[in-house]
Amino acid sequence: MIDLDLHLPALAAGDRQAFAAWLAGAERPLRDGLRPFAATVDVEAVLQETLLRAWQLAPKVRPDGRPNSLLRFALRAGHNLAVSEARRARRVAPTLDGEALERRLEALAALRHGSPEPDPLLRRLIERCRAALPQKPRLALEARLEAAGGEPDPAIAARLGQRLNTFLQNFTRARRLLAECLARQGVELGLTTGAAGAAEQETP
Amino acid sequence: MTDPRTRDALMEQAAGAWRPRRRDGGVSSLPAWHDLDEGGRVEAYDAACLARRLEAALDSEGLSTTARAVLARLQG
Repeated sequence: MIDLDLHLPALAAGDRQAFAAWLAGAERPLRDGLRPFAATVDVEAVLQETLLRAWQLAPKVRPDGRPNSLLRFALRAGHNLAVSEARRARRVAPTLDGEALERRLEALAALRHGSPEPDPLLRRLIERCRAALPQKPRLALEARLEAAGGEPDPAIAARLGQRLNTFLQNFTRARRLLAECLARQGVELGLTTGAAGAAEQETP
Repeated sequence: MTDPRTRDALMEQAAGAWRPRRRDGGVSSLPAWHDLDEGGRVEAYDAACLARRLEAALDSEGLSTTARAVLARLQG
């Protein structure tokens, strides 16, 4: 297990680079933690709000002797925010009693979600598959990557000179072709498997 | 019932990382997400999980577009 609390002192000092390093390791368990809410709240919005709150409250978090204090705090905050959003929209949120919830959050914080460090072998395989995409899907994929979540799809589509639906269809195609290409090379980027298998296959 | 092409387009938008801002600066949900049925929302969640892993794998700092969007919000 990776203890992301190693970034806490720098986070407390307002170091954004340290926050970026914390984000690289914390995003996946936090997103996984919100899975039960996928049908009831917009998880992407709840997750981003949770991450912003983690940044704001990091200076107040004190390690309690166990790993991942800030991640555990953020998991709880994300859960509470999702429940609150679901109630606000008058939707039925999945509920867990206090003890079951604590056990679940602890388990998520303790799971090994892979190294937050980029995997050069996986990156090479993805790059190879990306380069093999037909032009329009590849452009759609690259445009969204460049936008980095800071630009709405209609604006990206307009930048590419495409109608929104055309852009989205190209993006869907890129995602599907990329996944198929990676699968052919032994990379299963499904929801539970990691890149390790592919990396091992790639290693001579 | 939403036709399949419209549903796919909504799902693809909802799987992206861009989200509007609230007046108070908070992160708002995406209108396209609200137009999806429950199955489409779960599909969008799964597609986002996969997309973020790919994005993080391609990024020199291991950051997805979600992480990049959050960092950009810190800059104001």
